[in-house]
Amino acid sequence: LPTVVKIIVNGREVEADPKKPLIKACHDSGVDVPMYCYHPGLEPVGSCRICQVEVKQGEAPARVMVACRTQPAEGMVVDTESPKAHATRKECLEFLLKNHPLDCPICDKAGECDLQDYTYAEGQAAGRTHEERRELDKRKSLGDTIVLDQERCILCSRCVRFFEEVPKQAQLTVSNLGSRSVIATFMDRPLQGKYQGNIADLCPVGALTLKKFRFQARVWNLVKMASTCGECSRGCSTTVEVLRGADVKRVRPRENEAVNKFWMCDIGRFAFERHNRPGRMEGAALRDGAKLVPHPVEDALTRLRDELMREKSAAWILSPWCTIEEGERAKALAARLGHQLCFVSPAPNGEKDDLLHTGDPCPNRRGLSDLGIAGLEAAKALEAAKGAKLVVLLGERIVELLGAGEIARVDATRTAVHLVDEFALDVPCVRSVFGAANCVERVGTWANVDGVRGPISAVKAPPIGARSPARLMDELVRLMPKLQESAR
Amino acid sequence: MERDPHGFVEGVLLSAYAIRAQAAYIYVRGEYRLPHDRVKAAIAEARAKNLVGRNILGSDFSCEVHMHRGGGAYICGEETGLMESLEGKRGHPRPKPPFPAMFGLWGQPTTVNNVETVFNVPFIMERGSAWFAGLGTANSKGNFLCGISGHVAKPGVYEFTFGITAKEILEQHAGGMWKGRGLKAWFPGGSSCALLTGKDVDVVLDHDSLRARGSSLGTAAMIMIDDHTSMARVMEIIARFYDHESCGQCSQCREGTQWLSQIFHRIAQGKGQPDDVATLEALAKGMAPGKTICALSDAAAIPTLSAVRLFKDELLECVRQKRDPLAQPTPAYAVAGGHHS
Repeated sequence: LPTVVKIIVNGREVEADPKKPLIKACHDSGVDVPMYCYHPGLEPVGSCRICQVEVKQGEAPARVMVACRTQPAEGMVVDTESPKAHATRKECLEFLLKNHPLDCPICDKAGECDLQDYTYAEGQAAGRTHEERRELDKRKSLGDTIVLDQERCILCSRCVRFFEEVPKQAQLTVSNLGSRSVIATFMDRPLQGKYQGNIADLCPVGALTLKKFRFQARVWNLVKMASTCGECSRGCSTTVEVLRGADVKRVRPRENEAVNKFWMCDIGRFAFERHNRPGRMEGAALRDGAKLVPHPVEDALTRLRDELMREKSAAWILSPWCTIEEGERAKALAARLGHQLCFVSPAPNGEKDDLLHTGDPCPNRRGLSDLGIAGLEAAKALEAAKGAKLVVLLGERIVELLGAGEIARVDATRTAVHLVDEFALDVPCVRSVFGAANCVERVGTWANVDGVRGPISAVKAPPIGARSPARLMDELVRLMPKLQESAR
Repeated sequence: MERDPHGFVEGVLLSAYAIRAQAAYIYVRGEYRLPHDRVKAAIAEARAKNLVGRNILGSDFSCEVHMHRGGGAYICGEETGLMESLEGKRGHPRPKPPFPAMFGLWGQPTTVNNVETVFNVPFIMERGSAWFAGLGTANSKGNFLCGISGHVAKPGVYEFTFGITAKEILEQHAGGMWKGRGLKAWFPGGSSCALLTGKDVDVVLDHDSLRARGSSLGTAAMIMIDDHTSMARVMEIIARFYDHESCGQCSQCREGTQWLSQIFHRIAQGKGQPDDVATLEALAKGMAPGKTICALSDAAAIPTLSAVRLFKDELLECVRQKRDPLAQPTPAYAVAGGHHS
């Protein structure tokens, strides 16, 4: 087979890979062809029959055929908008809608449902059926993650094939025959493993929903931004979805051939709940005797600057959630001030698998290491802290990584700790605390285990007065005397 | 398989030798115990004589013959559904291409034939192809097995040479219509081909002649329907069968076979709606031809279209009267069973 063939799609010549189905060539050239059973990450089975397009090859008369089971061939002429193709798709939709409950007003998928969208697109406004719709289990639990609505299911079998083809462990099947078919697990066993959430993304209708997203939001009210998962060093590309500027409601994988294809694990998918915790640190606080007292941020920063410039026996300990940009700033600051610099490097967490999870919980280990910053285990980092007179703990989760109890044991008479984190820690050694923006509240870049860079985005605003560590360091530098050109 | 299992096994081995197949599988519907057991015994006897297995009769040709009992699904008669079933999977037909000759059973080149076809082979080998070509009509050669059923005096399986008319079979072999009734309609080749009316019974039974009348020879399983019979009820039963046997992969077939079945059921129950007959026609056209992975959807659509074409007035009359004027009391044996019980 040639590696590339020229075909004509809706009057425009495009190049196509003859080993990939025709529907892929149409999508890649910006032409929308409806699909239910086809998914670019799964083997095409050609069963839903919705992707009908008109194809003319050589002298044979044009035929309407399914684009997902047709291989592109040199000179093929494809018309996705021919009256015959439209008519065939419209017929197919009428069949698919015959038993569909049409409960869009209470369906979580409404607004991002392929059945809804293509029904509008093909102008299927009325049905001819006089029959009662199929009555099946409307809320069948498939374990801790997924709920199945058998009535909404259009039996595209994407979920079945996902478990067979991606984690390569079949868990779902189509049970029964014909119009009595339903999706089921063997003996109604709950789904296993940490890739279950993907089938809710794959489901083209509202049949498979996440327990954690059911009835949480109308999808058109969600603000969605490209981001990167922070739960391991794979750094799966994600879309973070926030409801009305407040809570993160959902995180979904974003297609990235170089990293995660179309998938992500449930650990990363559901880690967003930590971003919705109350009690975040706002602005800054300084130690006043026995307790931390809120303080204007600018003034607190000025005091921090003074101490940093005065103290030579000092260490900066970064969180591995710090971005490359934050690493660069910390490196420059530590070099200028003659301070030590390291990042906390936790041990593998035992979640490593063959698919995506690396077992290394640090999303930016590679980025910080490539900057020449040393990674130290929590105990070693604490030792370094105890040996210094001034310590800056910087970045989200830094207290979690070092342990609040361990930090509390730092001798307050010897070492002054300045903390930049999402939450305050009121222990004697902590002299000042600055509220930090987390990875859904600031912009930056992480580098994954293979060095592939991924962005994080500010999908929502951080608490009032909280800053990204990058901005905090920029403000510190601005408060310092200008460096001579030669010193740069 | 029951009467001449050795002849059939001979046909299997000769066919396998012709295409150098190293394995032959005989897929028998699970309910057909007697033919299964007899063919199995014949294979064992052939093996004892070194006609099956390794280096047959001292040659370099080896061929294993396996028997397999299916679970009784109609769709496992579709060649790719059959192969999936043999591989131990659900009998879901595969999209084509690739065709079985390229990618068949366990990915190997495969040909799938009916027992009836294979059984012809020993006779052709013995008497020559000229003898076989001399039987039948221009484009339909040889003999065929005709299972005649329905409202006839002597239903059964008969063997005829292509070229005989349906009328001859009905009157001279099947004893005519039962109870002296008239022939209202008939399927020339099983319920998946188009209905013909009584007037068409003079047709010559070969592929070309039936195509000219708008139907097909199919499996040559003729079903004769007498003039006391309600076509709404006939179609209700046929549509219910296809709803029950659809594998459910393709949207049109899964939903369409159920829909046809529901509409025919309502019409037969006197609950038809004025637009039902038009909907039947539209649905059947949406299900075929060639819109699905296999031909089961077509098999449900074709008889529906013929029923709507030939018996539209009768169906509309059921709707108008809100009852089926030809309805007959349901026989006791049919009350409890039913596919959907």
